[in-house]
This record gives sequence, structure tokens and C-alpha cells, in this order.
Amino acid sequence: MSLLQTTGLRASYGQVDVLLGIDIEVNQGEMVVILGANGAGKTTTMRAVSGTIPRSGSIVFDGHEIVTQNAESIVRLGIAHVPQGRGTFSDLTVEENLRIGAYIRKDSVESDIERWFETFPRLGERKSQKAGSLSGGEQQMLAIARALMSRPRLLLCDEPSLGLAPLVTQELFGVLKSLNQQEGLSVLLVEQNANLALKIANKVYLLETGQVVASGDAESIAGDERIRRAYLGG
Amino acid sequence: MERLLQYVFDGLSFGAIYALLALGLVVVFRGTGHLNFAQGEMAMFCTFIVWQINDWGVPLILAVAIGMLFGFALGAGAEATVIRSVAKKSPGGVFVVSIALFLGLNSLATMIWDRAEGYTMKSLFPNKDVDFVRILGAEWRYKYIGVLIVALALMGLLFLLFSKTKFGLAMRSVASNPESARLVGVPSGLVLASSWGIAAAMGALSGALVGGINGQLTPSLMFAVFIYASAAATLGGLDSPGGAVIAGLSIGIGEQLVAGYAPGWIGQDLKLSVALILIFVVLLVKPSGLFGSLKVERV
Ligand SMILES: Nc1ncnc2c1ncn2[C@@H]1O[C@H](COP(=O)(O)OP(=O)(O)OP(=O)(O)O)[C@@H](O)[C@H]1O
Ligand SMILES: [Mg+2]
Repeated sequence: MSLLQTTGLRASYGQVDVLLGIDIEVNQGEMVVILGANGAGKTTTMRAVSGTIPRSGSIVFDGHEIVTQNAESIVRLGIAHVPQGRGTFSDLTVEENLRIGAYIRKDSVESDIERWFETFPRLGERKSQKAGSLSGGEQQMLAIARALMSRPRLLLCDEPSLGLAPLVTQELFGVLKSLNQQEGLSVLLVEQNANLALKIANKVYLLETGQVVASGDAESIAGDERIRRAYLGG
Repeated sequence: MERLLQYVFDGLSFGAIYALLALGLVVVFRGTGHLNFAQGEMAMFCTFIVWQINDWGVPLILAVAIGMLFGFALGAGAEATVIRSVAKKSPGGVFVVSIALFLGLNSLATMIWDRAEGYTMKSLFPNKDVDFVRILGAEWRYKYIGVLIVALALMGLLFLLFSKTKFGLAMRSVASNPESARLVGVPSGLVLASSWGIAAAMGALSGALVGGINGQLTPSLMFAVFIYASAAATLGGLDSPGGAVIAGLSIGIGEQLVAGYAPGWIGQDLKLSVALILIFVVLLVKPSGLFGSLKVERV
């Protein structure tokens, strides 16, 4: 069942058109990866979906057309966005970051906070520390945990591996994978490292200058000669 | 000794008023990064509203509450309409708008309440000649004690709002990272308008307290108070509420000491300049203020 479907999604910054009509589909429970070179428009696609930039075309989430909605209402519908560069609240403590992540919820959030401190023990140890003083890896974990505090049905995750040591990246991807497989959380992930992406993804979209130039399940993409040459180094 | 204690008592009350207004500046600055130069005039205007409502026969305490609500609406309304749209186009424009607001409110007040000798403002607290307690020889007047208690209580409430409530957390999140705040669903427009509203409501209270101490109300009510409050906000570090309070109280006491002990030629008139010199010196030595935060950010 389709959870997210963009059709002819376009976006621009001022005069410059950046997305030239993107069609992407994420089914319920899928892990979908967007691959693409720097400047291809991956981040812009994520922003368009979460409503942080003006865009046109169609974005249907769970049966609702959301292309006209703003970021505040979209997160309420169940889409959480972990922006590139993490976007943690550096002046707030780790725990406060999690609390504000649950801003849209009216029920008690204590058990969720406990849960993410168990999943990411390093966050629990630093819960009263300002987020700005965490290491890059810890901040990325915090950014993901904060997004999950809203109990989203779709997680948008923009290059979580950026600048992280391989071991930390593995840990993070392990968490994403288990959330996806054990709890059926749907994920739309931007990733530059194609090897990593293909290992974790059900489906891959390849973006080039604002357009989808290839898509398919992980195996067929891995087998595609163009992609091997351009993104897999061989 | 008595004299010293007397200056400290009086200074604390004035200082608490400066701190209130300074806190308003800090709340706005933390939320939007702007200095609201109209903060003092907004407070003055609200104080006239308080006077007017009281003059119509409403009890003073109720009039003050209504004045604070009016202040909230004035501040929130100004932010949601002019300030926000100007800030989007040019951050420097906000400076111009707040100066315009300053002048506009001042002329409006002068126009509506045009009695040259001003208006008699009642105090919220007992204010007769005998209304004081004597502590170690110094007189602590009830109206000064009252001002101190009310101001400190409001500050306490504000700290609780900031640190203990969801709304306070939302305000701090918008101040820290507006883009991420939107992503977690915080209605940042509402939050920013509320910061201006809260600041203006605190201003309204500080205006009513100053008016009550002076016993007299003119459109220049807040000129000096605003300068001391700006000095306090700067001295404390513009983003530090605790700093604003400590600095406000210190400046209040300092002002009394300067006026009391300094040679006659400094006296009443030059003590404002002392406050301004203080701003300059602090900005030179420590640009982020005494308690302002150096941002820790690792990428
Ligand atoms: N705020 C902005 N204003 C103007 N142009 C922008 C802005 N953000 C991105 N762009 C431009 O839009 C294009 C796509 O940017 P985008 O950030 O979506 O790329 P990306 O695929 O995420 O790249 P990267 O892998 O480097 O993160 C780029 O050419 C970029 O220069
Ligand atoms: Mg990007």
C-alpha cells in the first residue's frame, strides 16, 4: 500500500528550478533510499515533502494531498524529518531535545524518552548536557531519536552518515533497519554511500539534476552498469 | 550604615523594575534576535491605559491586570503584523520599525493624554508618610517593598514558564533553531508573537510600578527607566534572563549609591550617563555581557 507518493514534484529557490518533476513512491513498511551526487536535489526533495520550502505538483501522504500544507501540519500527519546537518537544538539539553520532538503529542512521553535512552545509551548518559556539546555521532543519534519522539509513520532521514566514523554509521543503520523491519516504520533515506544504501534499501531512486534517472529494487540497481560505474566505483 | 542600607533598599526596588523591563528585552531578543527599542514606550502607553481605566472607576489592581493584557495584545499584534513582515525582508528594518513604534506611541500618548503637568498615578501599595518599617535605622517604605515583591514574583513566574512548561520549551526551541522548531511542529509564529506579548505585558507592569512610585504620569515616564533597563540587559548578556535580573538589581542599587555618595556635580542628572558608560565598557570588555552565553557548537 502506498504511503507516500509524489507526482511531478517541482521546487525552486528563487529563479533557479531545482526539482524538475520528481515521482517517488514509498510503500507502507518500506525502506527507500535516494542516491545522487552533490547538488542533485536530494535535500530539496526531502524539504519539499516535509513542507519546509514552497513546491508544486502533488504529494499524497496516506491519502491526503499535502503539497499545500505547511511543515507544522505535515508533522502532525505523521512525517518526521531529520534534516541534513542534524538540526538539533544546541542550546537545549539532550532530554529537552527529545521532549520538544514530541511537541505535537498530547499523551505522556516519558516511556518514549526511556526507550530512546535505552536504544542510544550514550544519549542517556548525557541527558542533561547541552546538545551542542555532543559529538557528531551523538548529535545524529539525538536528531533521529528526536524525530521518532513524534511517533511518525514515515521518517525522512537526510544523510545521517555524513561525517560519521564507519562504526557509528553501522550502529545507526542497524537501528534504522530494526525499526523498519521490527516495527514497520517506513523510511525515506538519503545516502551518498551507494554500497551502504543498497545493503539496507528495498527500493532505490537515483537522482540527477532534479530528476529521477533510475529506480528499482536494490538488486536491479546494484546490477545496473551505469550505476556501478558512477556510484559503486567499478 | 543607615544611609548605605537606605540606598540598598531603594535601589533594590528600582532595580527590580529595571529588571522587569530588561527581562522583556531579553525575551524578545532570545526569540527573534531583535532589540525592541519601543519596549519602554509600549510600557508607558500601557501605563496610561491603566491610569485611564482606573480613572473610569475600575479598581487599580484590576486596571493593572487589564493594562498587562492590553500590553500583551499590543506586543503580540505588533510582532504578528509589522515586525514579522519587515524582518523577513530586512533584519535591519526591524530597528527602524521599533524606532517608529517608539515615536508613534509617544506622540499618540501626548495627543490623547495632553495635560502638560501630567496625571496623578496611584500606587498599588500603602503610600502614606507613615507606611514604612524601620530596619537598622533605615526606612523601608511599604510601596518599595510591594514593588520588589511583585516584580520578583512575576520574574519567578516567568522562570517557571520558561523552564517547566511545554510552552516555555517551545519558546526556547524557536530561539535555538527556528527551522527545526517548525519541523517538530512548533507554531513558531504564535511563539514569537507571544514572546513580544509577554515582554510588553511585563513592560506594562513595570510602567504601572514606576508610575505608582513617582505618583505622576507623563509620556516621558519610561525614558530613564528604559535606559537603565537596556544597560541591565546589555550588562547581563542579552540572552540571559538571570543576567538581566542580577544586572537590573545591581544597576538599581548602583544608581542610588552614585546619586547619594558621588560629588554633587554628578548627582541626579549625570547618573544616566553613568549607566550609558557602563554599557560601553561592558560591550568593549565582554561583548556577550557578563552572563551571556558563548555558544558551544560542535559540527
Ligand atoms: N537555500 C538555497 N538557496 C538557493 N539554492 C539552493 C539552496 N539550497 C540548495 N540550493 C541549490 O539546489 C540544488 C540542489 O541542492 P540540494 O541541497 O537539494 O542537493 P543535494 O542533492 O542534497 O546535495 P548534497 O549531497 O550536497 O547534500 C543545488 O544546486 C544547490 O546549490
Ligand atoms: Mg543534501
